[in-house]
Amino acid sequence: MATRTTVPFGPQHPVLPEPVQLRITYEDEKVVEVVPVIGYGQRGIEKACELNEYNKNIYLCERVCGICSYQHSESVVLATEQLWPLDIPPRTKFLRTIWAEMARTHSHLLWLGLFADAFGYESMFLQFWRIREKVLDILEQTAGHRVIQSVNVVGGVRRDIDEAQKKTVIDTLNVVRRESDDLVNVLINDYTVKSRTVGVGVMTKAQAMALGCVGPTLRGSGVSEDARLTKYSAYGELNYEPIVETAGDCYARMKVRARELFQAIDLQMEALSKLPEGEIAIKVKGGPPANETVARTEAPRGELYYYAKGNGTRHLERMKIRTPTFANLPAVLILLPGCQLADVPVNIHSLDPCISCTER
Amino acid sequence: MALMLPTILRNFFGGPATRMYPVQVREPFENARGHVTFNDDKCFLCGLCATKCPSEAISIDKEKRLLTFYPARCIVCEVCALACPGDAIDMVFKWRAPFYHKPVEVHESRGKRPRTPM
Repeated sequence: MATRTTVPFGPQHPVLPEPVQLRITYEDEKVVEVVPVIGYGQRGIEKACELNEYNKNIYLCERVCGICSYQHSESVVLATEQLWPLDIPPRTKFLRTIWAEMARTHSHLLWLGLFADAFGYESMFLQFWRIREKVLDILEQTAGHRVIQSVNVVGGVRRDIDEAQKKTVIDTLNVVRRESDDLVNVLINDYTVKSRTVGVGVMTKAQAMALGCVGPTLRGSGVSEDARLTKYSAYGELNYEPIVETAGDCYARMKVRARELFQAIDLQMEALSKLPEGEIAIKVKGGPPANETVARTEAPRGELYYYAKGNGTRHLERMKIRTPTFANLPAVLILLPGCQLADVPVNIHSLDPCISCTER
Repeated sequence: MALMLPTILRNFFGGPATRMYPVQVREPFENARGHVTFNDDKCFLCGLCATKCPSEAISIDKEKRLLTFYPARCIVCEVCALACPGDAIDMVFKWRAPFYHKPVEVHESRGKRPRTPM
């Protein structure tokens, strides 16, 4: 009879640069049980949001996550604006959409690289990250910073995209699309990649819905669900359809993100071509009124949920953040048991976990 | 391997993707937020920057007419520069050099409050 061994996978592990521990019990290289343990990176951001003035929360909440920082700032301003509610100019909505899709482009490029690295394709990892630099450059040119854009304020945005910048963005996105196309073609069609990902970590549609998964993890299992369908910001005026794959394995989740990368580029192009004229911000006076609201946005990893409650002062009564990885983490209970120990990194990366998000 | 060949050939004949830093430094973009500078001749210690700063990187002593800035706390969000009514704070688009010890900048403000309401 084979012996059972329990190993701690993390919180410090070369494959997973995130502070999460998975207590994996395996038997003959086969995982039989897994217990995810979180709580290594809790920062108390939700409580700090109550102590801050509402307009300072934007800069704090942007730091919930390093990769989807733009979506966090967008969510916190959407939630705060809905407390009044404020009438946001149409140009602002389009600018927010452009930056959100730009952030999704760089996040998906980062993930595709990390995913390749998870099954040992290190040169592919660096190829994707090289393309990602171009996206970070256009973010810096338009928003002012590579990672923490700090471009949203309650009532609008602080920066505009002029004609010269628009041309630079379109030119860069064309290069990004061409170069990504070559690499994604390798990821999708290569025999070795398929042998490591097809049929690995299968999660059915019913399981994904029962566990409350969100984002590409859910769409990879055949559920057409996306917060962008709620038509926040300018998504209602763009040609948008969620990308869905039905297989539910690591390969399907990779395909969803690879296709979303090109969709994000298309959405940016469309938003830039439809960018209306007008002002980019409105003046806001006083604190948010006593009211409560919910803002749902689609971060690169899935649905991001912000709850805000005002009390008429400049401080919020309560701010609750639910990040996509918090919803996706229970999926490891389905993905890992039964898989080979060598497939654990691929399975975990296929969820695109962000633990600093999860613990806030 | 065959699928990767176009990328391999492009990389083989193309130039390197990295540059020889610090010998070769990339020019910063004009719109980038690099770091904050203070013009002591224009600052009249209204205190708006210190009030609005999300990371409490600026403190004001009106009696001694001093503005103290802690660069290590600054998150380069540009809020102070946009709030300043006297145009005394500028964002420079070049990055601040790294430091070993957390510096503290003390500015003696010499500006005068304008009489006309702003």
